[in-house]
Amino acid sequence: MTDPQFDARRSATQQSADRVRKVMGQALVYAVLIMLLLFAVIPLILAWFTAFKTSQEVLFNPYGPPIPPHLDNLINAWVQGRFSVYFNNSLIISVADVTLMLIVAPLAGYAFARMRFPGQRPLLVLFLIGLTIPVGAIIIPLYLTMRDFRMINTHGAVILADVALAAPIFIFIMRAAFKDLPGELEDAARIDGANEFKIFWYVMLPLVTPALLTVALLEFLWSWNDLLLPLVFLTSDDLRTMPVGMLFYRGRFSVDYGLMSAGVLIISLPVIVMFLFFQRSFVKGLTGGALKG
Amino acid sequence: MEIPRNDPLQSARTGFLSSRTSQRWKRYLIAYIFILPALLLYVTFVLRPTLEVFVLSLYKWNGISPTREWQGFANFEKLLADSIFWQAFRNNLVWLVVILFFNVFVGLVAAALLSMNIKGRVIFRLAYFLPVVQASIVTAMIWRWIYNPDGLLNSTLQAVGLGGLTRGWLGDFTWALPALAVAAGWASFGMSVVLLLAGMQGIDQSLYDAARVDGANYTQTFRYITIPGLRNVITIVILLAMIGAFQAFDIIWATTQGGPIRATEMLATYMFKKGIMENEYGYGSAVAVVLAVIILGFATINIILRERGDD
Repeated sequence: MTDPQFDARRSATQQSADRVRKVMGQALVYAVLIMLLLFAVIPLILAWFTAFKTSQEVLFNPYGPPIPPHLDNLINAWVQGRFSVYFNNSLIISVADVTLMLIVAPLAGYAFARMRFPGQRPLLVLFLIGLTIPVGAIIIPLYLTMRDFRMINTHGAVILADVALAAPIFIFIMRAAFKDLPGELEDAARIDGANEFKIFWYVMLPLVTPALLTVALLEFLWSWNDLLLPLVFLTSDDLRTMPVGMLFYRGRFSVDYGLMSAGVLIISLPVIVMFLFFQRSFVKGLTGGALKG
Repeated sequence: MEIPRNDPLQSARTGFLSSRTSQRWKRYLIAYIFILPALLLYVTFVLRPTLEVFVLSLYKWNGISPTREWQGFANFEKLLADSIFWQAFRNNLVWLVVILFFNVFVGLVAAALLSMNIKGRVIFRLAYFLPVVQASIVTAMIWRWIYNPDGLLNSTLQAVGLGGLTRGWLGDFTWALPALAVAAGWASFGMSVVLLLAGMQGIDQSLYDAARVDGANYTQTFRYITIPGLRNVITIVILLAMIGAFQAFDIIWATTQGGPIRATEMLATYMFKKGIMENEYGYGSAVAVVLAVIILGFATINIILRERGDD
């Protein structure tokens, strides 16, 4: 009953229709993806462009690329805008944060992962609670605590609070990393007479470098970008970080788009360079650590 | 004759035992030493302040006078009658709706498209994630510039013939809040794209093959395989949006500071004004307690879901 020729013809037209539909579907898919890409990237690229424009160019060529690029804004932000001071302060706090965190989190994470001791479970739950506590909600008593310690207007206040607040998440990251290591290594080292600290330092710690990298990168990112704690704890302009400095000179930075964009560029450039180098660790750490409250 | 033979053995055994006990306690001590630095910091700067915010919320205190005035739950009664508090709460909810649109709807669309056979997937994912690592001050400054009367948004509207819609977005009583929430959506949707994409790649491929054999089309497989397979990840994305929405502070503080009038007032900005700027520590803490309870609730559910997902 079936006509083979008809079948062949029909399937041929259907195939070409399928192909057209497929190509159009593909085009639509790419169109949506590219629109989203522009939405994500254009605000940043425009700000980076503007950072290299003179105020004349900002007015008459607001959205084009800066040709030729001018460094006036960056120099202005760095010198008159005091970004040289703010940059230093941001760097001091972030480096101290990372260093302290790299001591505190691996030690605690190791104890929770590979040691047995009374009170282990309750202590772990105590740190687990820390994952749910938002900084904003405790900023008032935290401010009072720092005042009692006479630490208001010191970098130390920001550093200690930063590390304390982020410690739980990083302890859990380090705990997971140490848990994945085989037990034989530890046993072998112990038979060779190494003590607990030597085992931790020489045997186990080198094996979790990827996790240490994640901890360092995320702690750097969070402290570098943080606004609230330095805003509340640092009252002297000489101690302020870049985000806070920018906030206080909002008036000045908002009139002068070139200057504002230069500030934006100085804040985000280090982060973007790090992100491009360590993309995988960043994404994995941030999405894994996304449960941070 | 048997006693002397037993004696050394006995003493050896008790000696062995006691040395083992002391060894064990030494090991415990080492564990405690390992945990101590973290515990000290955490208790001093996180746990104690958390308990204290609840205590402070029961007092009236200007932070300077040596005595605090006991209030009971008066601060909370005042809060429930405070129209600014409710306005802030509503604003947080509006913020949440906008963020949910970006993180769930836009996130799902982007992740679904990226999970197809796409050229340059790495580039797209990288670009979407770029705003996520930006400082909130950067997000705030850039979007303030976009929303300025002579900014990118108005220029674009004019260029496409919608000049009638132009306005000073952040000075507009109706539009300031959603406009800033869009900035927050911009800064966060890349995170949910990555989470959802990872979730999609975790779905058993044989389910799709079986559905294709049965003649299911794309919409059907998406509806009946992808979405149910992503249920956990979608819940986490929603919870993260809720946590983020109720914590919203930085972008607003760097732009409108709650204005115009109270159009962009949030729980966090209101708490900051009362507690930190106006030295009403008790009342500010009461707002903080509400904030803490809401976020603690969402965050706890999030952790439970994650722990379950890990097993």
